[in-house]
Amino acid sequence: MTSFFGRLKSGTGPASPASSAPPAKKDPNAPQLTPLEKLLQDAGPVRADGSDKFFGFENVFWKHMVIALCPTPLAWPNSHITSYCNSIVQCLYYSVPFREQVINFPSRSPPEALERPASGPLPRLNTNLSPDTNAQNSTLSPKGRNSFSTPATASPRKSTITPGGTVIPGQPPKPEDNKDSPEYKKKQALAAGPVLSMDYENSKAYGMSESLFSALKDIFEAVIAHRSHIGVVSPHKFLEILRRENEMFRTPMHQDAHEFLNLLLNEVVENVEHFSKTRVHEIEDKDTNAVIPQSNAVVDATASSNIGWVHELFEGTLTSETRCLTCENTSQRDEAFLDLSVDLEQHSSVTSCLRKFSEEEMLCERNKFHCDKCGGLQEAEKRMKIKRLPKILALHLKRFKYTEDLQRLQKLFHRVVYPYYLRLFNTTDDAEDPDRLYELYAIVVHIGGGPYHGHYVSIIKTQDRGWLLFDDEMVEPVDKAYVRRFFGGEDQLACAYVLFYQETTEEAMMKEQEEESLAAAKQAAEVNVEPVSVTTPKANGHGLANGHGIIHNLATTPTVEKDDQFASLDHAATAPPLPTSDHNNTLDHITTSIPILGKRQSNLASKKEKAEKVKEEKERKAMEKELEKQAKAKRKELEIQRRDMYRKQEDDLRAALAASRDTATEESKKRGTDSGTDTHEKEKPANGLGSISKGSGLSRFRHTSMSLRHKPKFWSGGKEEKKDEPEMPSTPGVTEAEQTPHSTPGEKEKKNRFSLGRKKSTFHL
Amino acid sequence: MTGTYILRDDLHLATPPPHPSEAPVHNPNPLATTVNPPTAGTKLSIVVVAPRQQSHSRLFRLDTANSARSQLPPSIQESPNESNSQASDSGSQSVNGNGITASPREGLHAPAYGSGNSALAILNGKDSKDPLKRRKPKSNIVKSNSSFVSRVIPHEALTKRLQEHNPNGLYAFANINRALQWLDLTSPTKEEHLTKILFTKAHALCHDVNQSTKGPGHVDIILGFSTGDIIWYEPMSQKYTRINKNGAINNTAVSDIRWLPNSENLFLAAHMDGSLVVYDKEKEDAPFVAEDPDQVQPETEKKARLVVRKSVNSKNQKFNPVSYWKTSNSRINAFAFSPDCRHLAVVSEEGSFRIIDFLKEQLLHQYMSYYGGMICVCWSPDGRYVVTGGQDDLVSIWSLEDSMLVARCQGHNSWVTAVQFDPWRCDERNYRIGSVGEDCRLLLWDFSVGMLHRPRAASVRPRSSVTSATLQMQRTRTDGSTSRLRSNSNLTSGSMVDEEEVVHEVEPRARTAMLPPVMAKKVDEHPLCWLGFEEDCIMTSCSNGHIRTYDRPKEGAGSDETRSTSASASNV
Repeated sequence: MTSFFGRLKSGTGPASPASSAPPAKKDPNAPQLTPLEKLLQDAGPVRADGSDKFFGFENVFWKHMVIALCPTPLAWPNSHITSYCNSIVQCLYYSVPFREQVINFPSRSPPEALERPASGPLPRLNTNLSPDTNAQNSTLSPKGRNSFSTPATASPRKSTITPGGTVIPGQPPKPEDNKDSPEYKKKQALAAGPVLSMDYENSKAYGMSESLFSALKDIFEAVIAHRSHIGVVSPHKFLEILRRENEMFRTPMHQDAHEFLNLLLNEVVENVEHFSKTRVHEIEDKDTNAVIPQSNAVVDATASSNIGWVHELFEGTLTSETRCLTCENTSQRDEAFLDLSVDLEQHSSVTSCLRKFSEEEMLCERNKFHCDKCGGLQEAEKRMKIKRLPKILALHLKRFKYTEDLQRLQKLFHRVVYPYYLRLFNTTDDAEDPDRLYELYAIVVHIGGGPYHGHYVSIIKTQDRGWLLFDDEMVEPVDKAYVRRFFGGEDQLACAYVLFYQETTEEAMMKEQEEESLAAAKQAAEVNVEPVSVTTPKANGHGLANGHGIIHNLATTPTVEKDDQFASLDHAATAPPLPTSDHNNTLDHITTSIPILGKRQSNLASKKEKAEKVKEEKERKAMEKELEKQAKAKRKELEIQRRDMYRKQEDDLRAALAASRDTATEESKKRGTDSGTDTHEKEKPANGLGSISKGSGLSRFRHTSMSLRHKPKFWSGGKEEKKDEPEMPSTPGVTEAEQTPHSTPGEKEKKNRFSLGRKKSTFHL
Repeated sequence: MTGTYILRDDLHLATPPPHPSEAPVHNPNPLATTVNPPTAGTKLSIVVVAPRQQSHSRLFRLDTANSARSQLPPSIQESPNESNSQASDSGSQSVNGNGITASPREGLHAPAYGSGNSALAILNGKDSKDPLKRRKPKSNIVKSNSSFVSRVIPHEALTKRLQEHNPNGLYAFANINRALQWLDLTSPTKEEHLTKILFTKAHALCHDVNQSTKGPGHVDIILGFSTGDIIWYEPMSQKYTRINKNGAINNTAVSDIRWLPNSENLFLAAHMDGSLVVYDKEKEDAPFVAEDPDQVQPETEKKARLVVRKSVNSKNQKFNPVSYWKTSNSRINAFAFSPDCRHLAVVSEEGSFRIIDFLKEQLLHQYMSYYGGMICVCWSPDGRYVVTGGQDDLVSIWSLEDSMLVARCQGHNSWVTAVQFDPWRCDERNYRIGSVGEDCRLLLWDFSVGMLHRPRAASVRPRSSVTSATLQMQRTRTDGSTSRLRSNSNLTSGSMVDEEEVVHEVEPRARTAMLPPVMAKKVDEHPLCWLGFEEDCIMTSCSNGHIRTYDRPKEGAGSDETRSTSASASNV
């Protein structure tokens, strides 16, 4: 194994010519503002609505688990494991109505409440530390911010982000030593702080039980209440709750951001509804006693009338029309969705994917339709249209597709273009406002070669600071054109994975476009050299070529799978301890060079031209060839490795799941002793609408969730489970391990109300 | 009625590697924020130097053998139109009332741009000492040591090949990346370029050939670059002149460039900051200062108008620019001159589509795409319709006479990058449109005037009054539309009276005719970026440099009705 890494390392040396280039020629001692700080230099006092907060999210591990399962947490390798969560939470934070609802439901906490969490003496190191160091106007001063990280909190965190901190002599400089690398920037962001270590919770102050929603609210409120415009959130509690309640997210393996989004929204719905239900009960109880203060009743009334806000924002309705080909009977069925999962085609657009989504499809062979009229499975024609358009349209591009021959999910790198503005063609004739205009405001990008590993970042349009790139701890302004770099394509590792469109108006669109272009024109006038570049300093790109790229490539090569998988091995404590720090360092220097495609010469060119071209391209070609050769060799090697790894991975996953189940039970036991609310939560029945439940939420979030399988679940209620199994030969372990804990009674009735994308049932068959 | 289009030829132009001075920094970081220069794929222009052949884009042919094939009533077919007789128009064209109407003949009577300005006239007059001798640019490009030009590679037997060239044969100029290639498409060795110019860093994004000055010994080409630079190039003599050098007048990339119709000297460049600038190929640059401060002001107001920052009527015409307009701050993606040489259709990234009377420097109409930016625009050969394509995956047909959206053509699976009318398949009632897109497909559309005026859902508009009072009609439409495309109630109807006439709102889908393609065919592996119709073929080019030529259906090969084809196999 070590030799393998060794080979990789030596082999990739020349593959990254950029890294040998001297770093930017600037005074290293000069105090430098980050691009984000520059952008926010004119930012005034913080606003109450949180629209001027730009916090990164720390990529954290579930410490408890790490401690429980890994004897040496300090040696835990750095990887992007929680980026799925960070990217989604960022997108939701900048969904303005969503943020508003979260902070205002059930009521907004007064700042004092935030300062002193009701939950007791948990260490809090955020907002209350600052007053003296942080002068009113220097909310951005790095000096002021430095003072935030107290030694007590900084050290354990540091250890997680700089694994293998011991520099081995003779080692080439690590990517995080490059000042322009994202690794360095992330480190800096953490060091600069302020770091909101969200390891406490205020759910009692909200009058709620601890839940994902309350943890999310904690994060949002803490960010908004903080005096600084920038900083880093360390969402420990949130992750803890997430992992406690959801088996799949308990492993440190790579998770699917879309699944997480779906889970989070469903959880929020559930939490909110549960809260208002218990509230109603309380009121009723009080009513009988006839001792409710008037004011309280008002609050409660508004709160409970408002419980549907997630639905209001994200929910739309699909109508599926199915015409039985035997009896010609047409049946209609409405279905709610929180997001749409669309199949992709090479060289297509989001518009086209959505249209394809609503194209007629045949239900035949294994997918026959159970017709109520003729009774029995029949061939049928089905099409789905949008009947009610959501305010926020979350579009999931199904880049992870199950391939029969490889027996596993594979990433599709299709080039799928997405416009800044969108309308839906696939609406029903009676849809209200069928021409609703949507604007793109957030993208979750998946970087990596496959579904089992990689990294997520999000690019989000903020209210008045333009587009920003959120890469875990790092937040950086980017220009609008940057948003279009993630269409995908043959050599594009970073592809848009979830697109967030929100309702807008033409006036707003015109106004914004005018403002944007004015700003761009101003920028162009200021930066004469680079008229097109906006806000992004030149040095950035160059530097990124060195550091950032390497790291992200890391994430994209199959090696990372190994990394992940080792992680799960460690975690499951079934594998011998690995020299993690060492191997991690080695990994850091792996670069894959993607052979440049499409440089084929015209075979028709004249001799003369050829000669000239040869001259011109000689050097370049030689290099390319070299790169290609290396890449090829490496690929081959990796391919072999990968095959092994996948096999292993499955075992590991199973082991990991088993281990995490153990911890879960342990955990819940522990929690059971110290809090009564939890048990209450556990027993929580299906909520008022009866459709969302923990069980259904969970069962959806397997790798083979519905959106990947296109199962028309609602046709055949109970049969569905059986059907699923043969379709996932790739992860039999997962299926088993996963399903057992969830086969709680009543699961069958719990319909996946917010699922989508089972379009094209025949697609994979 | 599509015939079989057969692939005749696939010519691949290599994308030149970056200039050696710009070391190919391979940046493996997918998140790198380095700014890439704007690119435009492969764009071609086809030139026939023979004098009698006019630019087909302006042709309104009823006399060709081809038009007879398009099932015209014989009466129309026989009306001789070649001599621009007004008579042939009267039958079909009763709609000349509102001044926007374009009949091809009018074009010849349209005053030359800037003819009202004596300051311009004098300078232009100076040139016409020897009308037969075309003026050439100043510098020799082969011997140039300019840092702008990297190298020029003429064919070793260039003179011989030029002599052998059939004057009716096709020359092609293609810009791809930082190269401009000159090809002889009728030569047996067409893959060997006549001349290839490599520029250093600047990418050529667009170019145009002057149709009124071209001849066997002279072709005027202008090229627009990603750096804002413009080059006037004459390939026969290998001479060139730089204009807007280093962005002296406007430093944003040139996204489209065209010679003014029938002008020897003037051309229009669309810059990415939303400026439309008329340059004179022979004038020196001078730093540009907006001339009319009053005009500049309203830019901040959100109002639809064309900001004239320097009018063609300005007396100060010693230097470039000749005139300078601004549509908005949004990037202009393409523009096209109407066949009557009076109007200009401009499409931009913000999704707007404007009709400008460029002689009067006035904005006539402003429409919006269904959503997303507009990418390409083209006039029908008779000037009655404009077709646009954009990021809504639609080809939209606009009627100038009715000042309205006529139909949306749905069929592309991705953004539409180029649209063209097929002048050899158009007559007064039937139009053939071709379009290509990012989906690598070529689509053909047929629409006929009768069919177009039948919106899918119940029309709100009185059909009878099409020819009259267009303006009045618009107003009624605006008022009566309760279901306009607003999501919310914040509908601000007609903020200004005069604006109302100019700014047109997006038509809801329920009220617009949807047109399916008559043919859809994947013709390339890469996104397509250009489309051209020739008398005997359709040509496409892709971002990767492939130029494909499809022969038109053979004359007399099978009857019109029964022709079904390889190309149209994947119909609709």
